[in-house]
Amino acid sequence: MKIIPFPGGSDVGPEENWAAELEAALIGTSDGPRADSWRELREDVRATAPPIAPEFERELGKRIAERRKRRGRLRRLGGRLGLLGAPRRPLAAALISGIGVLVAVSLIVSPWSGGGSQKGAREAFPTVGAAGPSSAASGKAAIQSALSPSAAATIPRVSVSPATAGRIQQRAASISLGVTPSEVQSTADRVSRLAASDGGFVQSSHVNVGQGTGEANLMLSLPSAKLSATLASLGQLAPVRAESQSLQDITDTYDATRRRLGDATAERQSLLRALAGATTAGQIDSLRERLSQSRNAIAQARSALQTVSQHASTAEVEVTVVGDGKAGSEALTLHRGIHDASRVLVVTLAVLLIAAAVLLPLALLIVALITAGRTWRRHQRERVLDTR
Amino acid sequence: MVMSPFVPSADDTGSRAISRPGLGRARFDDAAFDALFRECGADVHAYAISLLGDRNAAEDVTALAFERLYRSRSRLDRGRGTPRAWLFAIARNAALDELRRCRRQPQCELPEEMSGDRDSEQGVENVARRATVRDALAALPLREREVVLLKFHGQLSNSELARALAISESNAGTRLYRALTRLREKCLGLERQEVA
Repeated sequence: MKIIPFPGGSDVGPEENWAAELEAALIGTSDGPRADSWRELREDVRATAPPIAPEFERELGKRIAERRKRRGRLRRLGGRLGLLGAPRRPLAAALISGIGVLVAVSLIVSPWSGGGSQKGAREAFPTVGAAGPSSAASGKAAIQSALSPSAAATIPRVSVSPATAGRIQQRAASISLGVTPSEVQSTADRVSRLAASDGGFVQSSHVNVGQGTGEANLMLSLPSAKLSATLASLGQLAPVRAESQSLQDITDTYDATRRRLGDATAERQSLLRALAGATTAGQIDSLRERLSQSRNAIAQARSALQTVSQHASTAEVEVTVVGDGKAGSEALTLHRGIHDASRVLVVTLAVLLIAAAVLLPLALLIVALITAGRTWRRHQRERVLDTR
Repeated sequence: MVMSPFVPSADDTGSRAISRPGLGRARFDDAAFDALFRECGADVHAYAISLLGDRNAAEDVTALAFERLYRSRSRLDRGRGTPRAWLFAIARNAALDELRRCRRQPQCELPEEMSGDRDSEQGVENVARRATVRDALAALPLREREVVLLKFHGQLSNSELARALAISESNAGTRLYRALTRLREKCLGLERQEVA
């Protein structure tokens, strides 16, 4: 007769008490026949399983030891390669994050780097002598200017439309430099020296330095070909507060003046031929008077042509040097630094934001897929238990 | 008996105590893994063979469980249970995967081979009683049988059992209660049959 001393009997109490009693009995903190019967049941259940085969246990132990040795060798190799102590998962996470940031940065940068419209804007400024032989450009005079009134450190580089082949153009520019009042005079002197060194000269100059303030206005005449370089050099002298450039097409004026000169020259030639054939004193006097008028007309036309050519080959640059308390170079340097730092921060934040915008949905998708996969696997496992 | 550093010491009855989460704070290094293997290897095998009813499959599951535990030991969260509980959760998943992979019904009969002293009267009585328990276990639905096996072979607390089963602790307690009640009924039924 087998007696199963099953604990609890039919008067099992509430589940909580029952569970506590079972736990206490199994960890050995309770005594008595009920606790003994729980422990006995545990041993009976454990005894129903056949023992593990010693050869399998030995084999498994050997395999584990071998695997550990292999891992140990790999870890030592990793240590030599500088990967010691670097856990696999953080490394993978760092790699994925790095790739994500690179993708985000490339997404940000690519739209801005493709055009290259800013590249060489100054260098593209036209020179009269470089005008080509043919052109489909408009003949209308055009003045294009760009002015940025913003602070010195944020002045964008300005440029007018590039030279049109076959056209004659007159260019002008103005630039405003910010300095401390004590630096107004010295800066004006440096501007003058710079103009002279670039082959130009100072047409007019007005320097006014007072108590805590000062201003200098200089009108420079520079070779058109050197305008861009001179403006760049002026920007090196002091922080630029404003800059503008303008361009005017004077091809029609130039052509008209040349035609006038040609007409006047041709008229003089015909008058000279007529004078050679004149027979009467009246005819001779009349022709001489007309020749005199023709000479004047030719001189005027030549002068006009010279003026137009002068306009085309030289550029006028108006330089204003403003000196005030808050425009000190040190303050501007600090301002520039703060501005640059804030810009770097803004760009960094933008990069991070875009990276997050790219990575977050991706991460959510991956998490959702992993969760769904785990749920499905768990469901499949649980289904096995319901097979009988 | 070799004890894992994560498991409290054995009680005075000589049986192994149920692991308590948070008690073991030692680093789960290779030595700890070895200790866990020595302590739990036979239990995992017993759990697997009792669930699958096939020695080869049980050995595969045992090896796989330790393999997975070794690979995931760096992720071991001791705040959520002991390495023993972690190991049995892995073993359970591996065993269910094995059942699913082979697309076969689990063996209804538990292995006939059982250890025990058959010379003394007490030994004979023990063997007979255990045979009844074995038959009653075999007659249990698989879902209830695995709870009993996890509880007694894994020596898991109810909270660890809940984590292994991925259910709430109260739910695990209820499931265990029902399984043991059913086991008791089966044992009584088998005894009555014997008497009759």
